[in-house]
Amino acid sequence: MKHDAILLAENITMRFKGLVAVNNVSLAVGRGSITALIGPNGAGKTTLFNCISGFLTGATGSVTFDGERIGGMPPFRRSLRGLVRTFQIPRIFHRLTLIENMLVADREQPGDKLFGCFHRRGAMLARTHAATDKARELLALLGIERLGDEYAGTLSGGQRKLLELGRVLMTDPRMILLDEPMAGVNPALGLKLLERVEQLRSERGITFLFVEHDMEVVMRVSDRVLVLDEGQLIADGAPEAIRANERVIDAYLGRAAPGETA
Amino acid sequence: MVEFWLFVLATAGIYTIFSLGLLVQFGIAGLPNFGNGAFMAISAYTMAISIVRFDLPMWAAAPLGIAAAVLFGLLLAVPTVRLRTDYLAVATIAAGEIVRYLALNMQDVTGGAAGTVNLLGPGVAADYNSEWLRFQVMIRGLLSSIAGFRVTSDVAFIAVVWPTAILLLLGTWLMVRSPWGRTLRAMREDEVAVAALGKDVFKYKLQAFSVGAALAGLGGLFLAWQVSTFTPDDFRPTLTFYAFVIVILGGKTNVWAVPVGAFLFAVIFAGTRFLDFWPLSLFSSGDRAYLRLIFVGLALILLMIWRPQGIFGNRKEDAHET
Repeated sequence: MKHDAILLAENITMRFKGLVAVNNVSLAVGRGSITALIGPNGAGKTTLFNCISGFLTGATGSVTFDGERIGGMPPFRRSLRGLVRTFQIPRIFHRLTLIENMLVADREQPGDKLFGCFHRRGAMLARTHAATDKARELLALLGIERLGDEYAGTLSGGQRKLLELGRVLMTDPRMILLDEPMAGVNPALGLKLLERVEQLRSERGITFLFVEHDMEVVMRVSDRVLVLDEGQLIADGAPEAIRANERVIDAYLGRAAPGETA
Repeated sequence: MVEFWLFVLATAGIYTIFSLGLLVQFGIAGLPNFGNGAFMAISAYTMAISIVRFDLPMWAAAPLGIAAAVLFGLLLAVPTVRLRTDYLAVATIAAGEIVRYLALNMQDVTGGAAGTVNLLGPGVAADYNSEWLRFQVMIRGLLSSIAGFRVTSDVAFIAVVWPTAILLLLGTWLMVRSPWGRTLRAMREDEVAVAALGKDVFKYKLQAFSVGAALAGLGGLFLAWQVSTFTPDDFRPTLTFYAFVIVILGGKTNVWAVPVGAFLFAVIFAGTRFLDFWPLSLFSSGDRAYLRLIFVGLALILLMIWRPQGIFGNRKEDAHET
């Protein structure tokens, strides 16, 4: 496992004053895998995400992505390496249209440079054309292409999650960190999102690490489950093994009430 | 009356240029820079000092002034642009005032409160403007021969400031609607998300600040050229507020609304001198001059109540302001 890990986090510790939010966590995420990160509220899941993506500074330990130490890098550099994240509460650009939201994420746009629109005008226009096609395709993949020219602020909570995922895909990432992709998404839409995740993994080889509370979803799509409790990694294994793990049941899953099937 | 409208037009041209800088910083990139007056002052003083003290030709001193404004912009931006919007506003207004007070007190460098006429010390009238005036006379001659009658120097000034303004409007328009401008707008909406997508937010902020500083610097030069001497108090914070009024009047993100806003503003601003009827005539003309501030403030309040998106703003877009 470790020899083909795309993401390697070693001895990550994050303290906020007296509180140890993440306590000496080490994990490896296999290339092309779909790994779930579960745990009770306040277990440190999002904090761990922030340490990996660079949005929290002050963590100790090391983060290696695709063989490169990325621990000290600012978030945008980690993103440029191909490690891109979404947020628990989607961060969309409200007063930009969906297409514009997508185009912001385009990385091959020469017009994105200061004065690029003057001295690289031809290349800029050509790229805008190509990138718009790409954006429409991705929006179609997510089923929101008909909203392309609407302002993103008009979207529902679930649609915002889809747009955020679309925006991440626009960057051609190698690994995506999804923070609660299913929260607030209606079940039908959520199902579609899951299918997309599996499709993206098999077709594009994208690696996923996601935080999720819906155990049905976790069991269904993940190859591997990591369990965090009170800042510590308490279990790491295949979904079935995790479901049977006593510590996990005590800390998070709970026991089925008599007469109820787990 | 013609004279009045020419003055309005000339003023509107200058205001268009420096408000355009604020549009990029505030309207597009979401960085409320309340220190714009300082950028103008630094540019104008750099030009005046290099001409008077170092005998630089105007065509070299002018770009030097703009470069100084950009340099100051970067100097101010590096420690402050990471601040949250409201703190940035306070930091920039403080920086603007620091510059003005420095200019007031560093008499040996700036001529102090007496203004640039004092640049070579008391007793000698310093003049930075002769080369500009010669240039203006040349333009005036040129226009007169084309028109077939003698045009005034106001017309010559307008013939320089407005083509410049239009070129800058066009350039800014192209930049604002380019992918670069789109990234700035995205940053205004959510800079964390922009960083997550792999963009160096800090770099973009510095760029937006520099572009704004350059435009403010050029506006400062025109302000200096329009008169023959200026003082630090010509760059009070109110000057920056005027730019805010103009940008908000136009709807914050619309480049072509800036000249309209600037024109309306100049009419209100210069038009107050006609408010000499009863009961306003009970005030002295000096006191009446302050009425313009009341009118400008009132206009802005009414606009915010009835048309928060500005005159040309997009209500639909504005509805999604976070």
